[in-house]
This record gives sequence, structure tokens and C-alpha cells, in this order.
Amino acid sequence: MSGVASPFRQAGAERVDPLLVALWIALIIVAMVWIAPFVFIIFTSLKSNATVMGTGAFSPPTSLAWENFTNAWRRGDFGTTVVNSTIITVIKVPLGLMISAMAAYSLSRIQIWGHKVVFLAIVFGTMIPFQVMLAPIFKQVNSFGLINTYVGIILPYLAFGVPYQVFILHNFFRDVPKELSEAALIDGASHFTVFRRIFLPVSLPVLAALLILDFVATWNEFAMALVILQDPDRWTLPLGLMSFQSQFARDYGQLNAAIVMTVLPAAIVYLIFQRYFVSGLTSGAVKE
Amino acid sequence: MQGLMLLAPAVLAYAVFAFYPMIDVIQLSFMKWNGLNADKHWVGLDNYRYVLADDPVFWVAFKNTLIWTFLSVIFPPLIGFGLALGLNQNIPGRSPLRALFYMPVIIAPIAVATMWRWMFDPFFGLFNSLLSAAGWPNLIQDWLGDRNVALYSVFIGYVWEVAGFSMVLFLAGLQGVSQTLIEAARIDGAGRFQLFRYVTLPALRPTITIVLILSLINSLKAFDIVYGMTGGGPAQSTQMLAMWAYTQAMQLGDFGRGSAISVVLLLITVAIVIPYLRWTLKRQEAYQ
Amino acid sequence: MQTSRKLRRVALFSAIAMVVASAASAQEVKVWTLTFANDSANKAWADIVKEFEAANPGVTIKVEGRGTDEHKSALRVASGSDQGPDIYFMWGGLGLGGEFVKAGLSLPLDKYYSQYKWDDELLSPALSFSKQYEGGRHGVPYTFHGEALYYNKALFEKAGITTAPATYDELVADAEKLKAAGIPAITFGGTVNWHVMRLMDMILETKCGVDKHDRLMSMQVNWADEACATASFEEFHKWTSNYTLKPFMGIDQAQSFNLFLGNRAAMMLEGDWLVGQLKGENRTADFGLFPFPTGTDRLYGFAEYNYISTKSKVPDIAAKFLNYLESTDVQQKHLGDFGSISVNKNVKYTSTEPLDQKWIEIFGKFPATFVNGDQAFPLDVTTEYFRVINEVASDNLDPKAAAAELQKFIGNRS
Repeated sequence: MSGVASPFRQAGAERVDPLLVALWIALIIVAMVWIAPFVFIIFTSLKSNATVMGTGAFSPPTSLAWENFTNAWRRGDFGTTVVNSTIITVIKVPLGLMISAMAAYSLSRIQIWGHKVVFLAIVFGTMIPFQVMLAPIFKQVNSFGLINTYVGIILPYLAFGVPYQVFILHNFFRDVPKELSEAALIDGASHFTVFRRIFLPVSLPVLAALLILDFVATWNEFAMALVILQDPDRWTLPLGLMSFQSQFARDYGQLNAAIVMTVLPAAIVYLIFQRYFVSGLTSGAVKE
Repeated sequence: MQGLMLLAPAVLAYAVFAFYPMIDVIQLSFMKWNGLNADKHWVGLDNYRYVLADDPVFWVAFKNTLIWTFLSVIFPPLIGFGLALGLNQNIPGRSPLRALFYMPVIIAPIAVATMWRWMFDPFFGLFNSLLSAAGWPNLIQDWLGDRNVALYSVFIGYVWEVAGFSMVLFLAGLQGVSQTLIEAARIDGAGRFQLFRYVTLPALRPTITIVLILSLINSLKAFDIVYGMTGGGPAQSTQMLAMWAYTQAMQLGDFGRGSAISVVLLLITVAIVIPYLRWTLKRQEAYQ
Repeated sequence: MQTSRKLRRVALFSAIAMVVASAASAQEVKVWTLTFANDSANKAWADIVKEFEAANPGVTIKVEGRGTDEHKSALRVASGSDQGPDIYFMWGGLGLGGEFVKAGLSLPLDKYYSQYKWDDELLSPALSFSKQYEGGRHGVPYTFHGEALYYNKALFEKAGITTAPATYDELVADAEKLKAAGIPAITFGGTVNWHVMRLMDMILETKCGVDKHDRLMSMQVNWADEACATASFEEFHKWTSNYTLKPFMGIDQAQSFNLFLGNRAAMMLEGDWLVGQLKGENRTADFGLFPFPTGTDRLYGFAEYNYISTKSKVPDIAAKFLNYLESTDVQQKHLGDFGSISVNKNVKYTSTEPLDQKWIEIFGKFPATFVNGDQAFPLDVTTEYFRVINEVASDNLDPKAAAAELQKFIGNRS
């Protein structure tokens, strides 16, 4: 189905299908609508304030106002927020995946008392949006004295990352042939070894997909960070952008430069690892 | 023993920072507490009575949440479905188009909010510039400032953000539709519409269920985009339950009332989730 | 054992993060303040900090700025955790300032008031707020601001307005003239609720007079029973429906300032700090200034304070820094960076800028002040006040019913 050598034809048909051509044109039009915001933002980010107020929305910038980016970087303290986002993401994402994989292995291969209840509680967690209970999360983190710390934000991130990942990995591990692990266990290998030597290698594609998805989710997270990280020194990129908007909304060019700088890292990661996104999303939800 | 060790880190994090707050919020909803000092006392149903009877914003937020959820279950999946059907055909440029439509999903919601807020700017934004350029100045709106349109303006941004998500799930579902079945039906002389109606659609049923449920759950998470675009304004007319709970607790310092609102939202969520959970588990067991 | 090694690594990470978080030296003074719209204030702060650090080796002053709402919620959290500033910015007065004094975040400063003799050095209207709190003197005034109407000279001329209005009726008549000339009289940004609120505050002072206004704001009298409160909402609605540059509910005050600079509206209700921003744009010559003619002898304005936190481990150094900040030399040197007038009595005013001179004149003319609504009300009432005002401004609530709506909320508070 991937051959585009002879487009616009039904499978096996020789003639160009006019309906497919019409469909294609329609899709291109929708695509133009979809891409318009990006174009508008990038154009604005390169215009001076006077140009923004004086010219049309889609007129390309005539002289490129790159200083919007340097100014926005400085005023929005992007130096700090990028570092914070990076530290939090780099620690949280692999660590979270690790503990989820361990738990998923345990739940799918080892009979522990109450594992069904645990699994149910975890699956329940995939459905409950944490946005509902920001205040008690704040209370809990505060009771450990962890407000405004990396640990204080990473722990709840781990907690809310666990359900989805465990759910998906559990499904995947269940499909690994029993013979593989049982032979090793009989030979005296520990569960840790089986997990590390057998399950991790075979699940690399799923792990990669989950890694990418979790990277984006963590990188973009806003609501929980808003509650827990109140100190500008600990702010992540989304918090920095929000604060930038509330303070400098009248510098249109710089505001849009700030948007571009916030969006760019995730966009690049997406374009590089595109196929993992799709497999990551679909491996869990749509499993036939 | 090994099983417990593998399971413990994930379960511990989940229990302490995700599951406990869920329980805690219920307890807090019967308390009067400013969230910070030691003065916390039991007030029975006072918070619920206040929220349901006296709070001038609660029912607005309640109504908005329902409208929002309703729209979120209809439009993004519908658009995603249309896009997926189109992109599943033999047309050129499928991959870049797919990438483009999915792109907004990986952008930080708060950045989406900032982008759209700027596009909705009544004086220099995209929409009003286009409308006045097109010669329709009477269609110019105060997109985010007029209480009659603000919620829907935010929703348009939301559709742009999430439609790609449904699209990817539907595409995966469409890949699963048996090609041999389609071929067989075609040979039997089934028309385009009949193919769609009697082969594709029935095969997609589980996908459709999953997309609808996920859209529903995700719609309850729509905190960032509303916070970033209107902050609940004008005059609290775009307020949502999750955000109003946050405002009461974190900004006005009334954890009791905030928690009571959270509990209402939690109950709604659970009412939706439980049937789905049972469905999922049944599917799982059927699989085993 | 892979697992336990991982776990140990987690523990190690946590430990490092905690150490990093608490590694601040004992001699560091953390100041939480607002981010300043005009760059000159930011530069002035940087200068003052540098000079103070040079004069006091071993001391570092760390200034952290936030937007207004973020600042408020960060402080609320600080008052309940041990994370937080040594010095924090907050307005003077029972509303906002009092909220944090009540929460136990503010250290009584009587000792420092006598040690540094601030009462002899600072303006008494600015100082008055420090005496309103229970349990001693709290906070030190840092700026003193007034708010008045800026107008676009060219647009006033175009509408045939030659002299600044002396009474409220004249002001309305002028707004009508502007309207007839096709010029929106005034511009506001509606997304930040406090901007439009200023107009309501002003009208309330005009219609109700000093005494009634204060009793309404302290919720001692019933809003629904006071005819002047309802009349104020009606008057307010007249302004938002007839004389305001539209649309305004979807923009913030900074954008409305852009529009004001772009000659899209004739007036703006702003503080003396706007002069600094106009200077930054090189546009001071185009604009004039007059106090909102409320008919009372009070200036619409407020004092900004710096408070020392009860949690500070270095209150002496913090007080020393605040004293340095208020000192005559520093205030004289940075005059105009924070506002048009200084809180320090001994500062000499030499600016030749007409807008500055006008402000000095206004500050001299009014013996008393009244504060903005969001500084007078407790937070939850402020939120409701904003909502009612916005409902009226967006034609969704009959102004006749507005005062009763607000009272309903006040009545429901326990």
C-alpha cells in the first residue's frame, strides 16, 4: 500500500480515479489551513513590532528581525528554562520507563499476591486526568518539602507516567513466548536476569516508542509544573512561555519568537522519530 | 520477592503521588483549609453546599465542561476520521501530509494556546486581518473577549491541536481492515459506498470506540489550552471545572472548595471510565 | 544487581538535587518582586544590587521577578513552606498586603524602623500603610504611585477640547465630543481584570464620595442598598459601551498601551510609571495628563512595599538592604526609574519633562489617597468584583443588578 509510483489509482486499476484526485485536492486545502498557523507565527517572529502593526498577516517579513529571538531569549530567561526542562526530562523519561518496565514484567510474569488488584488500580490511573486534582498533588509534594525542586516535580511525573506505560508494556510482555523465560528460569537465572537479558531486548521497539512519547509529554507538561515549580529558577519551558506572554504580549515579534523557540525542540524530535510516535500510540490503544 | 522488588518502585511512586491524592481530595473536600497553615478543620458538607448553591461560577464551569466534552467527542474524531480515510488512499504525498496533521499534537498545549491567542488578537491577529482583507469587516470578532464566542474560539484551537491524534488511531485501524475482504467484496461488485458501509466501518468498530473514549478523557484534561488562551475570562465565561478547582485552591487559597469541585469532576470521570474499564478488561480476558 | 544499582542511582540523584536546591549561602538575600514593564527600573535594580554588594562583601542579593498573578500565588505557597524569599514585594494596605501579614509571612519591623529612622526619612502618606496592620509595623514603602488620565494631545485638539475637564460631568462631555469626532475616548485591556477595574473604582469614588466609598470597599455597608453603588455601575456601563475603544475584552493592558501609542484612542487611565514607558518610546511630547475629576480630595494611588519574611535567616541584612534602597542618595540617583516621585522626602525634583512636573504637582495637590479595588478587597471578593465588572462591561449583566450581584457574594462569605 505504500507504492506511490502510480498514484490516483485504485488498487489494481489502470485508470486515474477522478474521485481520488478530488480527494487529494481537498486534503491539500485542509493541509494549507493546518499549516497556516505555523507560517503566521514564523513570519511574525521575524518582524519588528512596527511591521507587525503595519503589514498584512501573511506578508513575508522584508527585513529579518533576528534580534527578536535574542531579545526573547534574554527577557524570557530561556537559558534557565531550557536547562530545567532538559534536566527534568533527561532524568524522568528513562527512569520512568525503567520502573514501568520492571513493574510490567513483574505483573505479567510473576504471580504475586494481589497483582490483579494492583493492575486494576494502575489501569484505572490511565483514565484519570491529574488536572482534576492539582491541589492535593501540591499538598502531597509540599508535605515532603519538595516544592520548587527537581525531585518534587519528577516524582509526580513518574507517578502519572506509570499507568499508561505499564498498561502497554504489560500487554506486550504477555505476548512474549513463555518458553523463552521459563527455560532461563529453570537454568537458575533470576527474574532480574530474565528481565534484562530477554525482555528488554525483545521489547526495544516498544520501549523506543514509549520513550519518544514520554519525552514529548514531559517536555510539554504545564499544569503540574505550574503548581509545583513557583521559583523562576526552576521553571520549565512551558512556564517560561506563559510568563513571557503575560509580561511581554505587546512585543508581538518577540512573543512569536518565544513560541518558535519553545516549540522547536519537540518538533525536531518529532520529525526525526516520526514513525515511533505512530507505533507508540497505536501499540497500546489499537491492538488487534 | 524478586517480583515485589521489581514492582515496588513504580507502585510506590504511583501510590504516593497519584493514588493517594485521589483519595486525599475526597477528604479535603470536607475540610476548611487554606492549603498552607496548620488550621484545618472539618466542616461537613459546607463546601459542597457553597459550591453547588452559592458559587456564582461553578455552574458556568459545569456547563462549559459539558459543552466542551460534547464537542470534543464529535469534532476532532470526525475530522480525524475524514483525514484518515483520505490519507489511506493511493495519493501522492501521504507521508508529509500525515506528518503535518499530526504535528500540532506534539506541540506543548500551552504553546498552542499562545499561538492561537495571538492569531485571535482582535487588532493584529490572523483572523481579523484576513477578514478585513477579504472585505468582510462585519465578521470581525473579539474572538476571545466576547463571551458568546470565546469558548468556541478556544475550541477551534483545540480541534487543530488534537484532530491529528484521532487521525493516527484511525489510520492504524484502517491498516487493520483486511485487504482480501475488500478485494473479495469488490469482485462481488460492491460499490465504493457499500464497501465503506459494509466492510470498512464494521471492521473499525473497536477503533471508533477507543477514539471516542480517548477523546472524551482527553477533553477533561483540557486545562492548559484554556488557561493559556483566556484564563477563564471574559467574566469567567470560559471557566472549566478543572481550572476552577485550581483557581479556588491555588489562587484563592480555599482547598476545601477547590477539592469539592475536583470531586464533582472526578465523579463524572469515574462514571465514564468504569464502563470502559470493564470493556477493556473483558477484551483482555478474551485475549488470554 | 541491576535493579538495586538503578535504585541507588535514583537516591543519588535525589540527594544531589536536594543539595543543589539548598546550597544557597547564608549570606544570600533573596528578593521576590514583580517584573517591571519599563527597562529603566530593571537597570536601576541591577545597579543598586551591584553597589550594595560591593559595599557589603560576602552578601549577594538575588532578585527574582514574576508577573503579578504568578507572584501572588508563589507568595501564598511561600507562606506555607520553608521555600521562599527574604524580602518580598507586595502592595501596602489591608487587602493584598494584609493578606500576607495575616498569613504570618511578614516580619514586624518596629526594631528596624527605630534603628534606621525611616519615619523621618520617608513620605508620610506612603508610610501610613505600614501602621494599619496588627502586631506592629510591617513592610517598608518602596514606591508611591498615583493613577490619572493620560490624553493624546492631537486627538483632544481634533475633538475641539482645549482645557482639561475639571469635573466629572465635563469629563463625560469631553468623551461625548470625542465620540462625535469618531474617536474612542479611552482604551483598556480586558484580559487583565484590574485594568478596567480602575475605571469602576474611579466612578465609585466620584458617585459615592470618600466615606461611602471606603465603607463599600471594606464591606461595612451593603452594596445592594447603596444607590450610589448601582449608579456607579450604570455610569461605568455607559463608558464601556459608548466611550471605550472596542474590542477590549480580548486584549491586555500592554496591548491597549500599543493602541494608545498608535493614536487609536484619546485617553488611558494609567499610573505615573507610564511616563517612563513613554520616555522609552520617545513619545512624551504627544501626551498630556490630568487627574480623574472625582470631586474628592483624594488621589487614586497606592504604595508599593517591600516586606521582610518571617522565614528569613538574614533579616538584619535584608533590612540593611531595604534601608539602602530608600536612602536619599540612591533614590536621588534613580529618580524617575521607579516612578515620578520618590518615597524619600529629601529627594530634589529637577526633571524638565512636563509630564514629570505635572505628576509632582498632582502629588502635591492631594492630601490623601484611595487604593485600587483589588488592594482593598480580600482575594475572593476581588475575583468576584472582577467578574461582575466584566459581566457589565460585556453587556451580560444589567448594571442595575450588578451591585446586588456583588452583595450576594459578599453576603455568602462565612
